[in-house]
Amino acid sequence: MKPTNPAPRGVTRVLPADDVSRRRFLQVMGASMALATASGCRWETEEILPFAKRPEDRVPGTTRRFATALESGSTVASLLVTSYDGRPIKIEGNPLHPIDAGAASARSQACVLDLYDPAHSGGLVQMHERIAYPRTWKEFDPWFASHRDALRATNGRGFRVLAEPSSSLALAAQRARFAELYPAARWIDWEPVTRKNEIDGARLAFGEPVRTQLRIEAAKTLVSLDVDLFEEHPASMALARAFAARRNPDQADVLRLWAIESSPTLTGSAADHRLALRAEQILPFVLELEKRIEAWLGKSAGDPTASREGFLATPTVTHFVDQLGRELAERRGEVLLAVGSRQPAAVHAVVHRIHDRLGCVGRTVVHTDEPEASRDDGAKALAELVREMNDGEVECLVVLGGNPVYDAPAELDLRAALRKVALVVHVAETRNETSRLATWHLPRAHALESWGDCASYDGTRCTIQPLIDPIFERRTALEFVAFLNGDARPARELVRASIAEGKSDAEWKRILHDGFVAGTAHATRAPALQRFTVAAAAPRALAPEVANGELELVLAADPRTFDGRGANNAWLQEAPDPITKTTWGNAAWFAPETAKALGVADATRVRLTFGGRTLEVAAVVVPGQARGSVLLRLGHGRTAAGLVGGQEDEGVEPIGSNAYVLRTASAPDGGSGLRVEPTGVTAPLARTTDPNVDDEIGKHGLEERLHELLRETTLAAWVAHPEIEGSTKKRKPIESLWERPEGDPDATARWGMVIDLNACIGCNACTVACQAENNVPVVGREQVQRGREMHWIRIDRYVTGDEAAPKYRFQPMTCQHCESAPCEQVCPVGATMHSAEGLNDMVYNRCIGTRYCANNCPFKVRRFNYFNYNAGAQAEGAHVLRMRHNPEVTVRHRGVMEKCTFCVQRIQAAKIPAKNGQRQLVDGAVVPACAQTCPTQAIVFGDLADPKSRVARLTTSGRAYTMLDELNLGSRTAYLARITNPNAAAEERHG
Amino acid sequence: MGSAHGPISVGSAGTQSRGEVWTRPVLVDGDQSLGAVTRRVCDVVEAPKPPRAWYIAITISASLTLMLFGMVVYLIATGVGVWGNTNPVFWGWDIVNFVFWVGIAHAGTLISAILFLLRQKWRTSVNRAAEAMTLFAVCCAGMYPAIHVGRIWVAYWLFPLPNQMQMWPNFRSPLLWDVFAVSTYATVSLLFWYMGLVPDLATLRDRAVTPLRRRLYGFFALGWRGSARHWQRFERAYLILAALATPLVLSVHSVVSFDFAVSQVPGWHTTIFPPYFVAGAIFSGFAMVVTIMVPARELFGLRDLVTMKHLENMNKVILATGSMVGLAYATEFFIAWYGGNAFERFTFLNRALGPYAWAYWIMIFCNVVAPQFFWSKSIRTNPWLMVGVCILVNVGMWFERFVIVVTSLSRDYLPSAWGYFKPTPIDICTFIGTLGLFFTLFLLFCRYLPMVAIAEVKTVLPDAHAHDEHGHAGGAAHGRSPEVQHV
Repeated sequence: MKPTNPAPRGVTRVLPADDVSRRRFLQVMGASMALATASGCRWETEEILPFAKRPEDRVPGTTRRFATALESGSTVASLLVTSYDGRPIKIEGNPLHPIDAGAASARSQACVLDLYDPAHSGGLVQMHERIAYPRTWKEFDPWFASHRDALRATNGRGFRVLAEPSSSLALAAQRARFAELYPAARWIDWEPVTRKNEIDGARLAFGEPVRTQLRIEAAKTLVSLDVDLFEEHPASMALARAFAARRNPDQADVLRLWAIESSPTLTGSAADHRLALRAEQILPFVLELEKRIEAWLGKSAGDPTASREGFLATPTVTHFVDQLGRELAERRGEVLLAVGSRQPAAVHAVVHRIHDRLGCVGRTVVHTDEPEASRDDGAKALAELVREMNDGEVECLVVLGGNPVYDAPAELDLRAALRKVALVVHVAETRNETSRLATWHLPRAHALESWGDCASYDGTRCTIQPLIDPIFERRTALEFVAFLNGDARPARELVRASIAEGKSDAEWKRILHDGFVAGTAHATRAPALQRFTVAAAAPRALAPEVANGELELVLAADPRTFDGRGANNAWLQEAPDPITKTTWGNAAWFAPETAKALGVADATRVRLTFGGRTLEVAAVVVPGQARGSVLLRLGHGRTAAGLVGGQEDEGVEPIGSNAYVLRTASAPDGGSGLRVEPTGVTAPLARTTDPNVDDEIGKHGLEERLHELLRETTLAAWVAHPEIEGSTKKRKPIESLWERPEGDPDATARWGMVIDLNACIGCNACTVACQAENNVPVVGREQVQRGREMHWIRIDRYVTGDEAAPKYRFQPMTCQHCESAPCEQVCPVGATMHSAEGLNDMVYNRCIGTRYCANNCPFKVRRFNYFNYNAGAQAEGAHVLRMRHNPEVTVRHRGVMEKCTFCVQRIQAAKIPAKNGQRQLVDGAVVPACAQTCPTQAIVFGDLADPKSRVARLTTSGRAYTMLDELNLGSRTAYLARITNPNAAAEERHG
Repeated sequence: MGSAHGPISVGSAGTQSRGEVWTRPVLVDGDQSLGAVTRRVCDVVEAPKPPRAWYIAITISASLTLMLFGMVVYLIATGVGVWGNTNPVFWGWDIVNFVFWVGIAHAGTLISAILFLLRQKWRTSVNRAAEAMTLFAVCCAGMYPAIHVGRIWVAYWLFPLPNQMQMWPNFRSPLLWDVFAVSTYATVSLLFWYMGLVPDLATLRDRAVTPLRRRLYGFFALGWRGSARHWQRFERAYLILAALATPLVLSVHSVVSFDFAVSQVPGWHTTIFPPYFVAGAIFSGFAMVVTIMVPARELFGLRDLVTMKHLENMNKVILATGSMVGLAYATEFFIAWYGGNAFERFTFLNRALGPYAWAYWIMIFCNVVAPQFFWSKSIRTNPWLMVGVCILVNVGMWFERFVIVVTSLSRDYLPSAWGYFKPTPIDICTFIGTLGLFFTLFLLFCRYLPMVAIAEVKTVLPDAHAHDEHGHAGGAAHGRSPEVQHV
């Protein structure tokens, strides 16, 4: 790949200019505008008409927002999408929705980029004797209709559908209809990342599958067992919000978090107590914990060291379990344990038993229906399908979405099996690894172009409505199944019939407006706990004894690329991993001690052998990783993702390594038996934070200054003295040589920001929100290696403490809008100036690119366009790529500096109507993109001149401080110190 | 220079007047007749063919210059990203090389102007070449600020040009002071050099055998006929220009140092920078003069004009300024500790012991240790050993700028933003290209212009003092080498 933006290069190649002619583009745009006017969507008319007359309520150049939803694996995000002149440009969380409440994860937000991705298929492809022929629906439909009728005549014998499971009711209805029409056919669910263990755990504990809803808001102690509640959990947005609310140090009974996990996660970083255990050690740990709880409940603590074996006999672990057990027993009814979906069913079952014993059910945990229980056991059904295909029993296979060739268990040779099927039709968003082996590839519509429905984790039924007519001729899976069933109703009708049967038009409009059907959350269940026994293998000792070949491998979905579907999304590839700060691809995580023992260092390539299969992958040394355990993320190493994520036939190397190569049906989450061999080759990782702070001087410098940059204190200290060291309240003014700009008298606002480090979980949502809002370019792997990433807001990550028990700390860092800004003084051409309202403005047109401002910025938040990172979008034929830009924000050319503007376009968008209406701006009217999407509401923006504003009140908090005060910058961004809440007794020994 | 043993100083005559008979030092060896000097210098220019070595040298340096142009075109066409500059090291080799070349540019004007005002007559043999070097180094230096900006096509916005866009430069920015300092320095240096050239150009015109040469030299000789009035005005103007240039020698590098000192980057923000930069600049400038003059005097047979005495004097200056630079390094460290600023203390520890320690210790060895060899007379009077030391000094001074610019930026306030700078091949080729440009210009200068100031050298010849009352003129000094000359 070239060092410049990789995405654009594909545009000219993948998208010949005649694919989207100007005429077609205008038609599409015109149509979507017209239809959007009618109802926000294509539902009054299905015809494409140019936009000849402007409807009354439509003001050109203004944005409109529509509620929709996104289903990705088990996670459903309810979204509010901003549309500008009929094209969706920005995704936010749906503020009305009970789970998302306005927040959206990095992954949800980045999906808007997929809509305009050149890899997103624009046409049908028929493979015939290994040659791809472009086709149209007009050619496909009549041909396939005759084929379909023939299949129906034989009751669908030899007809198989392999589909991505979905929570859609409309699709379920079509699936039922399909079963009626094709009784001999079979429908198989396949998805690589599932919640199967969780469901099996519930079956083991209750005899029936139930879904556990976590109620952090009612808990005083939260224990996370190998789960990242803030990134992996389907309800992560709600959990993060509840967590932050319960961590506010000004309330009584601040939540305490204990984390036991194999790899450092956001949850573990937020924890007051963290224990690194291998994933396989969680079960003995939980069984031991149960014993300790019993002991403490019985008022006789007993001897916590009695009859311990293996790692449980380690003093730190013994003490940890004992103190945790004691706290859980003492706080019974107000505690909550969360278990990761990769943990075996037994762990889930035992935790159900602990919840039951501690009286948590109905208080901190609530059980509801589990709709996913009805899904096939994917791997088993897929194996059966492959057998049928190999035996020649399958005549026609329809693959709905997904990418089974890439993500199926490694022992199934799906490639060979597919070649034995006469007709394979793959409906997919991109022409991926599976599509390339299919006889037909049919382009599937993007979620933002689709009608559909889905259910969020609590069961609330969400609507998916299109914001734009499919840019190319793309269809949804629902539409395709309806076509199989001969159902000619438009998708909108199918959806309405399934989720709003018998509802009036007004009610239906209400549902579409809200984005969900109120009151459809799952009913609470009260399943009875069954007696069961769990046999745990004798616990092995803690890590140092783990021999190479006996190491543990953990295979987990990537929080950004997920199961691989995000691999071609440049925003996600370039969003740094919060823990390792690596971008672009995956790497195997090693604990420092394990790495040392194996002769592995950062960026060395290693060969992993697991279950007789091998994979070469980059290594990264991660303090806090459990010793003897190696984490490898799925979702990388794609060979037909696109020009961003890897496409072999275009000569684009895969990004990262494909961990599915090591993944079998029997061990989908890995297990022990891993052998690691360093290859001796070193390939640099693309990291946004210099990993070389491992020299003594650097480490010393970091430790010396960190407590002033990122302030932190304990809850006990805060309660005793609610004013931290170095708070703004204590600060004495320093004389300045410069006169601070007074601003003009008309300007009343003094914009400022407060970032609560106690709430920030380090999730990257703000980084991607800013990228989408401000047209922040992607620079690509090589440029990140050169340190030239462009994110306007970054999450600074610091690892402190000793290597065995490191602490991860996050600090969102963006322009502080200093009142006496060092950047402004040194610019020779006055390209960065102070606005009357105190914004540190960047005048792109005036900038000549001396970069002096960036050198003089103590926070290093300024970003320089070393190349024309937008060259691709400016290229001939890149209409579609250009459509994703926010027209309110200048697209920067090479050679100019850029940085956070406090979303000045949003400030203007709020000020202009207020001024026209002769109103005062109310507090909260201006919300920058980062603050808007933050799941924990850690970022607050507003007018410091208004003493009643939230931001002004927060700056007077005893936790508020500004950074680098001795430079007399007058930062407009204050931070609220982090407050930890450790258990004093537990601290004594291991803290 | 003014020590009791100063062998060549006429300015320090006062210290030697106690009862001793003052003898005029002999500054030039060999045939000391006026005509001989003219011949020796003009023969280089008028020879039908230069030495073979000249051809080899110009081929190499002109090729490197072509490479430089290629690199600049590629840079402008593609973007600053072709260099290794990164976040947080937004200034890399571009500014390192700029400061390096500006430093080199110091010796010429210092020798010409300050030594002129101090009546250091020995300067006459080397000032022309040193001034030329100044100009060529300024060319190399001045190029960098222009091409290193992101949008070269609007770099003219740095100048206060009235325009319809109502734009005006920000006079608070040291970068703008830099623009004025360097451009003023370049202008005055050019005028000063050219002024001195005028009588010699007239000599060349008068000796010219082809009409083209006569016309060209004649055009630039501005009608010089050597009348007493011409000489009188020339001397006045030369003195005035010398007086104007003298503060510039001190100011230009002081202003360049403000680029760093006025910022707030730990390791840049220090008040010692102006004198420290000036000392370093003289240090590196003299080292470059010696590096170039030793081969040049060999190549063009000017050993009698540029004598060992000249070289030795310059080496003494190098020793003195090198020690000043060493003192400055020590002072910086002391202040970093004594000042109590944790960020600054860290920056200096990091320089010496951090990831760039290799660069720091190269700098210390080359700049502080290497010049100490000049305490030994045998080393400072051996042409090839002195060239070796001076090349080390040049390397060291390049690394000094690298240490200041890059290590300070690579680790400033927030550890999460720290980074490590790696140059690209384009960085390296651009720098080598500027060396090529410098040597190309110098070689052309050697071939087409009088390398030694003929008219000025004549003023220190015995013939110029034929009626001197001390009367030890003419042949008395003939054949006497400076080595046997005693005061």
